[in-house]
Amino acid sequence: MTEPQTLAQHWLSNVRRWPGRDQVAARQKDLGIWQSYSWTQEYEQVRDFSLGLVELGLQRGDRVAIIGDNDLEYLWGILAVLAAGGVVVGLFTDVTPKEVQYVVTHSDAVFVLAGDQEQCDKLLAIRQDTPLVRQVIYWDQRGLWGYDDPWLMSFQGVQTLGRAAQQADPDRFEALIGAGRADEVAMFCYTSGTTGLPKGAMISHGDFIYVAQAFDAIEKVRASDNYMSFIPMAWIGGAALDLAPHCTSGVTLNFAEGPDTVQQNIREIAPDALLYNSRLWENLVASIQVRMTDASWLNRLLYRVFQPVGYRTAEYQLRKQRPPLPWRLLNSLGRVAFFQPTLSQYGLHRARTAYTAGAALSPDVVRFFLALGLPLRQIYGSTEVTGGAITHRPDDIKFESIGVPLPGARVKISPEGEILLTSPGLFAGYHKDPAATEAALIRDEEGVAWFRTGDAGLLDEDGHLIYLDRVKDMIELGSGERYSPQYIEGRLKFSPYVSHCMTVGDATLGYVTALITIDYDSVGRWAEKRGLAYTTYADLAQKPEVYALVRAAVERVNATLPPAARVRRFVLLHKEFDADEGEMTRTRKLRRSFLTQRYADIVQALYDGRQTVQVTAAVQYQDGRVGKIDTLLRVEAL
Amino acid sequence: MAESALLSVEDVSLVFGRVQALSAVSLQVRPGEILAIIGPNGAGKTSLLNCISNFYKPTAGRILFDGNDLTRTAPHRIAGFGIARTFQNIALYTGLSTLDNLMAARHIHMRAGLLQCLLYWGFSHREDLRHRLVVEEIIKFLEMEAIRKTTVGALPHGLRKRVELGRALALEPRLLLLDEPMTGMNQEEKEDMARFILDIHEQRGLSIVLIEHDMGLVMDIADRVVVLDFGVKIAEGAPDEIKRNPEVIRAYLGQAYT
Repeated sequence: MTEPQTLAQHWLSNVRRWPGRDQVAARQKDLGIWQSYSWTQEYEQVRDFSLGLVELGLQRGDRVAIIGDNDLEYLWGILAVLAAGGVVVGLFTDVTPKEVQYVVTHSDAVFVLAGDQEQCDKLLAIRQDTPLVRQVIYWDQRGLWGYDDPWLMSFQGVQTLGRAAQQADPDRFEALIGAGRADEVAMFCYTSGTTGLPKGAMISHGDFIYVAQAFDAIEKVRASDNYMSFIPMAWIGGAALDLAPHCTSGVTLNFAEGPDTVQQNIREIAPDALLYNSRLWENLVASIQVRMTDASWLNRLLYRVFQPVGYRTAEYQLRKQRPPLPWRLLNSLGRVAFFQPTLSQYGLHRARTAYTAGAALSPDVVRFFLALGLPLRQIYGSTEVTGGAITHRPDDIKFESIGVPLPGARVKISPEGEILLTSPGLFAGYHKDPAATEAALIRDEEGVAWFRTGDAGLLDEDGHLIYLDRVKDMIELGSGERYSPQYIEGRLKFSPYVSHCMTVGDATLGYVTALITIDYDSVGRWAEKRGLAYTTYADLAQKPEVYALVRAAVERVNATLPPAARVRRFVLLHKEFDADEGEMTRTRKLRRSFLTQRYADIVQALYDGRQTVQVTAAVQYQDGRVGKIDTLLRVEAL
Repeated sequence: MAESALLSVEDVSLVFGRVQALSAVSLQVRPGEILAIIGPNGAGKTSLLNCISNFYKPTAGRILFDGNDLTRTAPHRIAGFGIARTFQNIALYTGLSTLDNLMAARHIHMRAGLLQCLLYWGFSHREDLRHRLVVEEIIKFLEMEAIRKTTVGALPHGLRKRVELGRALALEPRLLLLDEPMTGMNQEEKEDMARFILDIHEQRGLSIVLIEHDMGLVMDIADRVVVLDFGVKIAEGAPDEIKRNPEVIRAYLGQAYT
């Protein structure tokens, strides 16, 4: 065979490369034991199912929808469809029958693979509206014992058909695979779309192969690697980060025993690469810290000794310097005595690549894991560029940024501040929706198509991309410049000394200012360490030293922003925002319009050049008397 | 009809001092059916279940299971006949893991002697594996993979109920007695439990006697319902008949409302 062009052709070359039983293709825990399947075993499973589908009438280019939890049959089902030249349409397990109906009819799917009773029931409920679907195929029989409907068919039933076809024509399966081309569509990924109906982004085999090879070029993917497949494969992330490297590099995919055991099973497998969202990483930090307080005295001692060593080494790494020899030695000792054993509690000790996606991760979390020897790297992209397009390089991690483009990909910022992406993995358009495709792409003067992400961002001097916000959530200032309240507030709160922050500034106000509340505990501790005397929150907040402390944090955030979007003035408030007073919702979201009204005088002071502003707070004493407390707040200008 | 019954309760009475807990109650459980026993508090539901599992000895009457008179059988031999139960107040080994609780239930099927077990080689090793397989299948069936190694004492109430059901299944019974398997559960946990009961019934073909307060659930999953009130059987029939039965309405809602 010439150079493989499709995922199925890559997969077939793996099968030929490892004919024996030693190399494991996939693994799933069942009845408490990890069951391994060699490439030959996987080949037989996929071949029989694929030929079975063809026997049932699957044609090249036909769509097959799939809905269920990630497991072996899910993987084999996808591979079988791709091998036969079909197109996989992924559906999330929690969608409603109505949503299933929309996607199945919109994609003209002719088969639906529905994992279990729950998913089969959804299909049965919409049967009248999906006349094109010839067969619904399930693989988990539980609860379906009593169903007697020829529309439903078992995975094994299809494979039986396929085995007969294979005996009749032993070369048929590989001929089907051989007929594939790189530009054939492999998958429709329906993007949820915050507005309107979901759109089916068409991703080709070539797109997937490009992305898999680009990630491989950044950090070598080895055939001996173990990945845990828990990210839904209906989502581009699961397909691009798990399925594609399984085909192109031959990594072993592992499947959890059940949806509830993913974390336990990750610990057992200790994957070589994994992607968690930022919330999960944050939870892990909290979990490790809590467990440390309950640990034995020896473990607590190791924590106290080696944690600072890890942090010191991490600082050198972040500055891209080589730590001096004594630190390197201590760090190696720490790795053996503490870092690796700690990571192994969470199955992270083998991870060469650990990605984070979603909201920005605070530098504290990044530093925490870096100190343990695990560099977390942001990954950013979208379905339309086949998942990832931007990521950190292993030796070039910056807190503020979300990384640099993959080899072959490019990023630029439109005049409106929107992030535009292009890469060899750019999608082939939305299915049956040329208007939406047209709207999602911009062609430059050289005719290159760029995908409009809808996100606002910046490029720094090193070519790193900084994510700000959704474009629609940016606020326009009187000067016509735009800024992102979310970005500034989120980043300022990364400082341990800032508890909350509200930025001010809109079309009527020329520049950005901020109302900031200090974190009483951490600023209080900081003040005590320096022998700084204070009485109350309001008193502490107005200390010049505290202003200097917060000013430094504001300047750090400003440094990442263009001049027009920087915070020019701020005030440290005399009290924290309080949900009881209606300043925040119970979920601790700021009630902006209320706050702007309540602190109208302070806001005015931020813009009229005053040095100080007087606030009066009514207080009720314990004996019932009512009094007033006046505080003079300083306005800090930058 | 008497011939086809798996369990036959005949004129059973139970007296504690002056309290007539059960008076001449008769009922039959047919192979492969779900029979629900309902009734107000103190109606004698649990007493009846305790008579069947021979925890109490009836004052009069007899209970036949597959032709054997249970009232003449020692309580520890009941499980050997193929009857398993769960308790209203969970009775598990709280210091053991889920897995060990289920394995402990397998003892009635174990044959290896003390010496063989000490050697743990040959027969006893193979036997252990065989029982582990049965237990693992139950763990999978009841979706308890995530708590396999968790100490039962650390589990929340809803999961403990599930472990207890698993332990009853590990006995591989022909008749399953469930005493309020859904008490103290939220709606979602109740629905899960109902699904498990139906799946057990459907896949394993077990006969199930179910005591439950949640009328909605009882009416949904039971094939037949028996109603007790002050130790007397006042009605018996399909769920739809029971819902319309004036006696039942009176017992549950009081005379004034009928």
